[in-house]
Amino acid sequence: MSELATTPRRTHPLSPFARAGQGMSGVLIAVFVVARDVPGGVLVRLGLVVFLVFAVGAFGWISWWRTTFWFDDDGDLRIASGLFYRNERRLQLSRLQSVEVQRPLVARLIGLAEVRPEVAGGENAKVALAYLTETDAQALRAELLARAAGVRSGFAEAPVAEERPLVRVPPGDLAVSMLLNHWVLLFGIVGLGFLVGSLVTGHIGGFLAFVLASGLPGFSVVTSYLSYYDFTVAESADGLRLRSGLLSTRAQTVPPGRVQAVELAQPFLWRRKGWVRVQLNVAGSGGDGSDGSANTKGGVLLLPVAPTEVAHSLLGRVLPGVNLAGVALVAAPPAARKRAFFQYRQLAVGSDAQVFMARGGWLTRQLQVVPHARTQSVRVTQGPWQRLLGLATTHVDSTPGPVSPAARHRSAGEARVIAETQAGLARQARSSFRPERWAAPQEPSA
Amino acid sequence: MPVDAAADPFAPPPEGWVRVSPRLAFVRRAIGLALIVPIGALMTVLVALNGPAALAAVLALATLLLAGWLWWIVGRQVRAIGYCERDDDLVVTRGVMFRELVIVPYGRMQLVDVRGGPLARRYGMATLQLHTAAATTDAAIPGLPVAEAGRLRDRLAALGEARTAGL
Repeated sequence: MSELATTPRRTHPLSPFARAGQGMSGVLIAVFVVARDVPGGVLVRLGLVVFLVFAVGAFGWISWWRTTFWFDDDGDLRIASGLFYRNERRLQLSRLQSVEVQRPLVARLIGLAEVRPEVAGGENAKVALAYLTETDAQALRAELLARAAGVRSGFAEAPVAEERPLVRVPPGDLAVSMLLNHWVLLFGIVGLGFLVGSLVTGHIGGFLAFVLASGLPGFSVVTSYLSYYDFTVAESADGLRLRSGLLSTRAQTVPPGRVQAVELAQPFLWRRKGWVRVQLNVAGSGGDGSDGSANTKGGVLLLPVAPTEVAHSLLGRVLPGVNLAGVALVAAPPAARKRAFFQYRQLAVGSDAQVFMARGGWLTRQLQVVPHARTQSVRVTQGPWQRLLGLATTHVDSTPGPVSPAARHRSAGEARVIAETQAGLARQARSSFRPERWAAPQEPSA
Repeated sequence: MPVDAAADPFAPPPEGWVRVSPRLAFVRRAIGLALIVPIGALMTVLVALNGPAALAAVLALATLLLAGWLWWIVGRQVRAIGYCERDDDLVVTRGVMFRELVIVPYGRMQLVDVRGGPLARRYGMATLQLHTAAATTDAAIPGLPVAEAGRLRDRLAALGEARTAGL
C-alpha cells in the first residue's frame, strides 16, 4: 500500500469557497438584513458586512482545515472532522453500496467534484467529501470501489475502469415523458384555463390561480428535467455507472450484486409510447432528494424513461441471468376483483429459479422483481375484508426503498404456499451466494 | 403443486405454535383499564353532578362496555400471538382483525433485541425484537418469560452468526 493512501489528506483548498458559493445568496441576504438595522453611518455598516463575511469565511476555512480523510490499516475509509469536538468516522468498505460523484454548478465551474460513498446500515451513513479536483474524485471513486471489491492499492493507483455505454435517454424523450404525466397535465390544463380566463376578463385573480395551480408542477418538471438531462447508463468493471444533469451533474456507481429489488413503472399516458421508468432498491443508498441526488431514500433511479424492450435488456445486466419474459405470471383469483377493483386485471405473480415477480397498479402499472438471494423475510397478511373474500397478501420484504414487492390479493391458501415456496427458494439462493468482496481471491469456506 | 385455495393461510406449522405467557393479557388489560376506568368515572361523576341523570347513566354504561370489550379483545389478541423455531427460519404470527405471519430466515437476522417495560419486568416478561435489513420485517414477540427470551436471543444470535449471508 502506498504512503499516500494512509496519510490523512484534505479536500481541495477551494472547497470552503465553493461551498460558500452554494449558499452565498442566503448568507449575503442575512448579512444585509442584519446590517440594515444597525445605527450609524455607511462606513459602520460596510465594516459590519465585511466582518460578518470574513467571520463566516474563517469558520468555513477552519472546518475545512480540520477535516481529513485516509484509509486505515483495515483498508476502510476514515474521516476526521469537527472544530472543537473531534469526530472520527469509519466507513466499512465491504458494505459499500454505491459511490456518487456530484458536480454542483458552482463547483463544476471551477473544476471541482464531490464524492459520496454510501454504506449499508447506520442512521448517519451519509458521508460527502467535498470538494476534490475532477481527477482526484475519479481516482478516489476507483480506489473506494477497488477496496470494496477486496483489491488493495494506493491512492490514485487503482485503475479508473473503462466504461461501456448501455443506454442514453434522448433529451426530447425525457421532456415529453415529463409532460405526459397525468398530474402535470391536469394541473397544467386547469392553470391554463385560469390564465385564459384572466386574460379575457382582465382580472388579476385568474393569473394568481394560474401561478398556484401550474407553478409547483411546472417547477418540478423543470428541476427534474435539469437533473435527469442526458441520463446515461454505462457498464464498467467496478459496476453500473449512472450519469445525468445539465447544470449540476452527477455520476453514480453501483457495484455488482448491490441491487436488492427492481420496479418497472408505467404511468397511464406512457402506455401508447411503450415507455417505462426503472427504479432500484439499493441498501443504505440514496438521498432524500434534497442533496441534488436523483434518488429517493433507499432507492436508485436506473432509468427516468426508456422503451420497455430497452429496460428489459438493461435488467439482464443489472440482474445477470434473469430473463423477465421467461417468468410465467399467474393472475389473481376472481374474488380479488371485489377487493382491488381498479388494479384487479393487472394483479399477477410468478417466480422462476432466480427471481420473484409481481405485477399490479391501475393508472400507473408496476412490475416488481426481487432476486431470491435478496429476499429478507416473507410475510402473509390478511385484513377483515380480505378474510371475508378468502384472500390474503404475501409480502416479499426487501431493504427500505421505493420498491415493496408483494403478491397482492391471492386466494388465502395460495398466499401461504407462495410464502413457504419463497422462503425455500430464498434459502437455496443464499447458499450459493457470491462474496461481498467480489474481486478478492476466494477464501476456502469452512 | 395443487393448491387448496380455501386453506387457512395462518395454519400452524407441523411443529405447532409456542404461545406467549397469559400474563401478557393481564398486564395489557391492567394498562388499558387504568386509562379507561378513571376517565370514564370522572366524566360520569361530572355529568351526574351537573347534567341530566340519563346522560350519566349512558356514560357509565359506555365505560363498562368499553372496558368489557377491551378485556375480551386483549385476551383474543394475546392468544393469537405465537412463534415456531423451524430448521431454517423463525415463524411469528399475530393479530385477530388484521392477521399476520412472518417467516424470518436465521441467515437474515441482523440484530436481536430483548426489551421490557417496568410492568412487564415486574411480571417476569420481556419482548424479543428481530431486525433484518428490511424495515418492513417487523417481527416482535411480546410476553416471553424472561428466561425464554434470553434463551431465544442467544440461540437466534448463534444461528444468525452461523448462517449469515451478506445483503
